[in-house]
Amino acid sequence: MNHSASSTSRQGIGLPIAGFSLPLARNQELAANVTLEEVLAGRKGALVVFWSGICAHCVRYDEYFNSFAATHPDVGFAAIASRLNETQAQMRQAIEERHLGFPVLLDADGAVARQFYAQQTPRCYLISAERTLIYRGAIDNFKMPGDPEYLEYLEPAIRSFLAGEPVARPETASFGCAIANVYYQLPKQL
Amino acid sequence: MTLFDTLTKAAFDVAETGFQVAETVLKRAQTTVDTLVGVDRKPFTGAPVSGPPDLDNAVSDLANRAARIAYFTPMNPAAIPGAMQNLAGAAKAAFQNVDWRDPKTLALPLRLPLSVGTLLTDSGFRGLMTMEVIGAPRYLEFLKYSLQIFSEFPVYSTLEYRDLMRAQEKWLEGHPDDAVTRTELGRALVKVGNFREAAAQLERAAEGSAGNTRSTALHEAGLAAYNSGDYAKAVRLGCQALEANPENAPARMWVWLAAQKLGGYPEEVAESFRMEVKPGWDPTALQYEDISVRIGLDKTAGARGIVVIDYNNDGLPDVAIGAAHGGISLYRNNGDGTFADVSIESGLFDCTNVFGMSSGDYNNDGFPDILVCRLGFFGGMVELWRNNGDGTFTDVSNESGISCWGPCFSCSFVDYDNDGKLDIFVCTNLGGLFDRFIQNKLFHNNGDGTFTEVAEKAGIVTRWPSIGHSWGDYNNDGYPDLFLSHAIGPPQLFRNNGNGTFTDVTVEAGLDSPTLAFGSQWCDIDDDGWLDIIQYTWAIHEDVIHSLRHGEAPPEGYPTAVYRNNRNGTFTNINRELGVNQCWGSMSGNVADINNDGYPDIVLGNGGPLMDRIEPLVILENDGTKFHNVTFSAGLPFMGKGHGINCADLFGDGRLSILIATGGAYPGDLMTSSVFCPKERLGNYLAVKLYGTKSNRDAYGARLKLVAGGREQHRVLNGGSNFGCLPLQQHFGLGKLTKAESLEIWWPSGLRQRFENLSANQLVKITEGEELITG
Repeated sequence: MNHSASSTSRQGIGLPIAGFSLPLARNQELAANVTLEEVLAGRKGALVVFWSGICAHCVRYDEYFNSFAATHPDVGFAAIASRLNETQAQMRQAIEERHLGFPVLLDADGAVARQFYAQQTPRCYLISAERTLIYRGAIDNFKMPGDPEYLEYLEPAIRSFLAGEPVARPETASFGCAIANVYYQLPKQL
Repeated sequence: MTLFDTLTKAAFDVAETGFQVAETVLKRAQTTVDTLVGVDRKPFTGAPVSGPPDLDNAVSDLANRAARIAYFTPMNPAAIPGAMQNLAGAAKAAFQNVDWRDPKTLALPLRLPLSVGTLLTDSGFRGLMTMEVIGAPRYLEFLKYSLQIFSEFPVYSTLEYRDLMRAQEKWLEGHPDDAVTRTELGRALVKVGNFREAAAQLERAAEGSAGNTRSTALHEAGLAAYNSGDYAKAVRLGCQALEANPENAPARMWVWLAAQKLGGYPEEVAESFRMEVKPGWDPTALQYEDISVRIGLDKTAGARGIVVIDYNNDGLPDVAIGAAHGGISLYRNNGDGTFADVSIESGLFDCTNVFGMSSGDYNNDGFPDILVCRLGFFGGMVELWRNNGDGTFTDVSNESGISCWGPCFSCSFVDYDNDGKLDIFVCTNLGGLFDRFIQNKLFHNNGDGTFTEVAEKAGIVTRWPSIGHSWGDYNNDGYPDLFLSHAIGPPQLFRNNGNGTFTDVTVEAGLDSPTLAFGSQWCDIDDDGWLDIIQYTWAIHEDVIHSLRHGEAPPEGYPTAVYRNNRNGTFTNINRELGVNQCWGSMSGNVADINNDGYPDIVLGNGGPLMDRIEPLVILENDGTKFHNVTFSAGLPFMGKGHGINCADLFGDGRLSILIATGGAYPGDLMTSSVFCPKERLGNYLAVKLYGTKSNRDAYGARLKLVAGGREQHRVLNGGSNFGCLPLQQHFGLGKLTKAESLEIWWPSGLRQRFENLSANQLVKITEGEELITG
């Protein structure tokens, strides 16, 4: 498998973000590599989400991710699968069973996740066309839409960004499943 | 004590002796056979990623897997072939590292029964002790709970839940009326946060069932509705759960919780399904507000350990929080009331899956280092991160020699031999139901950046699963003694002999009563100059709900223990007479004078792993004679699952904020940490920061005696550990007093210093052997 991550200095809001070149999982085969530049091409920015086919948290955002391209034509989208020991077969199964239409890139050894300092899925990075980090963190406060305490994090950031305004809350907690966990390496339990 | 109690106690004693004898005989036989065969027993120090490394651990692994299979197998004869197939697979996996070509394997017929025997005596002993605490009538329920927790953790923490749910779905295709399995599927969906689908499965399970199964399904459906924000539906389902089983205590609590979100019980809720929450409403002047978002300390989810340190030596307290599913968050104090997340640039972001945390300057370079243990019951590596003094940290676990693997909840720094160099203690508790016991570790600081493990040599040996501990000098001989808090069993007190060895004095100290516990803490609760012990106990859910409804624990419950030091080597638990009389699932706690009245208060971080086990952070305010639960009067919410609790003056104005690291065990149960700050300072204060020179730099082990208004207040500096440690800066409340008459310091080196006439509302800095610096 061919993949790479270009290095950058310490990451932070307003600072340049690392690039990547990762293969795309499409049906049963892996396609040619996709770069951050390609995700950004012709758009005002891009949303890169560290994602996993077996992450319980990612499941709840299937619909959101599936419709992201249609609802945000000015923002490119790529999910990066970095979870330790997640197999291609598992990922393909998730894509097929859940009818996932968004692009998933394979980061099999987690190099790009490390480059982005991502440790949990889903973790979002909103990046400008100039490859500057605009927002990183969760999609929402992990409450359900309809809950009186539900708070969106990502969407207000995208709206502000597209409107050319400063993002009020550019960094939030990371909710989710660990990308690397020593327990993933232990023999299966059942 | 009734005749029944006496007979029960006698039966327990006989059974205990029987287990002890059997265990001794079997272990001796096992050692003999191993010696004859030439088996070299070495504890494994790294993660067993290629399977159990030896026969004993293989047997344990198989037992754990078998229990898991039994738990997840539907109670139906048709499920037996599948279970047998799983069992065969489990045996193959458990024994994958047995080398069948090794001549030593010929002794397997002799070694295997002995290995199984020692496992059974070990487990039986622990089971017996648990029964003694829980009580025989409630034991079966507790056993089911333990089986559930220890069966599920490895499934959910490895994200193998989809395999489990697929198996359940497949089973339900052929057995659509199996309400029990459908309920389990629904509960699994709740645990992974798929609340809508969970509710659908659970309501369907309820339709086809009655009694307790129906009640459980409806209760869990209510939980799913609550987590979806549909509180009216949560109330309705909870009431239906109570109609099916009026004894379903958690359902009653969740109806109350959901009703609070609606502004009170809806009219249609029957009186018999309602409850009143009695504790937490005692009057107080304390009023808190949650400032975590405002100050930027809100970015850690699924948190566990928490320490307040000045990592960059700028004189401002910074905060580090460990997370079960991510890296450590390090928040730098900007000095303007806000904090910046510097986790990534510090390097601590790479320290993942942290549970217990402690900080201490092990190399005496003036910069606090960080010690962590990881993954709690699941087992993980202990790590030491050296502060480089430039804002970054480096993992020095391997080169320092402290790297070890084990189930672990707490670790701390201590200078147990008063040589001026901080040593390290690590509690390695029991992991799975049938895991082999791993002894605690005491790492002696060699002074050259390396450590040597000396626990057994020092005489620190235990037969109970240690989960919390605390160091404090209970007999005022100048050496820190060790209190071990065990998840199951009686605590242990090890007296420091002052020569590098310890003596177990548990029985003579009167501390040999078993309980279920988490952390512990030495503090002088009655300010008499003799350190007392607080042992944070973990109560079963029924006892917590009983406490919520009645304002106090049931007679058979175990509230957090407050062991008063009787000044003669013995201790007496005086919790109930002090008003510490409610049961909580306290996973941690801390003691600090949060209202500045001169009396130490207690803050408890509570909860349990199951999805329906949320509890408030509890404040027990001390009026000098008794403790009062003022949690809700002080404006705190009924919030969640508290792990590390810290009390710190974050803004240098004498207000002690409560920092709580919060988060559950299942993927669907994440929460973020909170900081509650008093809206105003209630009394005057004096803050003291010590710097050791001959003693260890952090002055861990130092004792402080403040006299103000003619009354003594005592403090001890220690390096943890209740999922973290309090700040080095010691805080004394002075109430309306504007000065303290005197302050005495007893340094670990033996030096004593005394200062007089200290004005209130300031921080004083004292370097060992030097004059006091104010400001």
